[in-house]
Amino acid sequence: MITFLTDLFVATQGWLFDRLVQPVLFALGLASYVEMGFEGIEFVLIGILELAIAYSIMRPLEALWPAERWNGRKAVRVDVLYTLLNRLGIIPLAVFALLAPAFMALDGWLRFHDMIPRQLEDWLPGLDTHPLLSFVIYLLILDFAEYWRHRLSHTFRWWWALHGIHHSQRQMSFWTDSRNHLLDDLIAGVWFAGLSLLIGVPPGHFIGLLVTLRLVENLSHTNTRLSFGRLGDYLIVGPRYHRWHHALDLPPGKRYRHGCNFAILFPFWDAIFGTLHLEQQLPPTGIHEDSAEALAARDDFWLQQRLGLVLLWRALNARRRSGAL
Amino acid sequence: MRLRLTALLALALLTPALHAETAIVLNSVDESVSFIDTRSYQETGRAPACKEPHHLMAMPDDSAVIVACAVSNELVFFDPHTGREQKRIKNISDPYQLGFSPDKTWFVANSLRLDRVDLYRASDFSLIARIPAEKTPSHMAFDKASQVVFITLQDSNEVLAIDLKTRQPAWKHPVGPTPAGIHMTPDDRYLLVGIMGADYVEVIDWRARRTIKRITTAKGAHNFLPRGDGRHVFVSNRTIKGSISLVDMQTLSLVESYDVPGGPDDMEIRADGKELWATARFARKVQVVNLEQKKISHSIRVGRSPHGVSFINHAPRQ
Repeated sequence: MITFLTDLFVATQGWLFDRLVQPVLFALGLASYVEMGFEGIEFVLIGILELAIAYSIMRPLEALWPAERWNGRKAVRVDVLYTLLNRLGIIPLAVFALLAPAFMALDGWLRFHDMIPRQLEDWLPGLDTHPLLSFVIYLLILDFAEYWRHRLSHTFRWWWALHGIHHSQRQMSFWTDSRNHLLDDLIAGVWFAGLSLLIGVPPGHFIGLLVTLRLVENLSHTNTRLSFGRLGDYLIVGPRYHRWHHALDLPPGKRYRHGCNFAILFPFWDAIFGTLHLEQQLPPTGIHEDSAEALAARDDFWLQQRLGLVLLWRALNARRRSGAL
Repeated sequence: MRLRLTALLALALLTPALHAETAIVLNSVDESVSFIDTRSYQETGRAPACKEPHHLMAMPDDSAVIVACAVSNELVFFDPHTGREQKRIKNISDPYQLGFSPDKTWFVANSLRLDRVDLYRASDFSLIARIPAEKTPSHMAFDKASQVVFITLQDSNEVLAIDLKTRQPAWKHPVGPTPAGIHMTPDDRYLLVGIMGADYVEVIDWRARRTIKRITTAKGAHNFLPRGDGRHVFVSNRTIKGSISLVDMQTLSLVESYDVPGGPDDMEIRADGKELWATARFARKVQVVNLEQKKISHSIRVGRSPHGVSFINHAPRQ
């Protein structure tokens, strides 16, 4: 069965490449990008598979055991658009196109001057021949970094101006995971790819790491009462856990002034850094919009993009005036 | 006791023969090597290699198969008989394509991503010179006297000649779009360059620095492997439909072609000249071409993006 599915995947990838990508690359004199184009098709196909898995598992959860019942799903549509742009590779491709030349130039300069960045395997040589262990360690490191990226996006006003778009959804569903301002996506891309390059994440692990994080994130945004139980909620981030991160009203306490439950995959980061909040109650989600422009942008992709930039500008101006972060 | 000794002796005699039938295949995206029993055409095992391995090559004396690890900056050596890892040499910066000069003085590593060619002393792999080589240095070939290494520059559509005495670039020669593989004819007169962005092999009289001919093969002309008879060379045409062409290096003409789907890339040929093995980059397979029947006899599943195949029982590299 696995062999059949693998063959089917490879045949589909080859067919799409042969019909859509290869002729264009040759016609444009870009034969050098043939391998990249072929792997790009794989990235898109994996995105489609991810969507199929998410839809077939998480949509029934939302229908059968919803955390909250809605009158309609119109508000969800914009999140579907974000998800398609993300999973079908359009946003990742744009991020890659913007970042790759800069990273390549820096990497080239360093290595030309005999500065080869130390990688994890230089300290733990055994990892070279233990791909599974290596995968788990890289997952832990990246999840730790994601915790801090996420927490900082709530801490700095200018960053929150962008990240607030993600939190403005009051009908949070598994589609909401990808609802991010494009600039926020770009910053997240620099963060994730930069660290991956710095610590030397094996390119062969990269898609696996990304898919693992993305599927858990899809699940954690799902509108469902499902939780992993008292113990399980401490082991892996689930819908109940993450719902408190999106709560309309934050839990009381100074330590939650910027939010709670920032972890992406493993809740112990919140436990270690004092931002964990677990409660059986399922709170409503969203943020308190205080302006007409924010209300108007709630369900509109372009208005959200514009609003994010306007709020960013205001936050940076306010910072300049006060001289504070 | 005597029986046990006899059994041990028999095993010792038999083992190398068994192991001599192992093919090592490099899976670039899976970052692993596959081991294939060349008699049953079955993958018998897989081992982790390193970060983003591209290309493998046998040591000139066949004592090891070297895998170039672009991202982890190292070379990994595998025993060609058993497939066991022998050693790793670290701090070989971003090796992509490898080559030894015919006199075994030089070990050359191209860094495709970082626009650079590194010259190492072959005896101990110590770095001697680092030469900027824009853009995207890909494959390489040497002259017979080991005085010049020729590098295809994939994105600037040129062939770069580096003088190994002065360790300086000597000249560049413009060629067709996206040159990839490069091969020196046995008479040391012509360079054959696979023009991947088109459908031909460009023939360069390298002493005169002049293109003298184009041999049309098929779209995606990519890599070379000599048949071992001192006269013919195989050219892989790396597209999804894919084919491998046989070129006569004396008449500089196409002899015949075989359909090899899946993006044929690197090749290896049996010592008896009856079978040609090719990694199919886009099909996760190794395609075995029966050269007598002129068609594929076996397709062997391996890992993602297979990018190199080697076995010890191969035809001479000429």
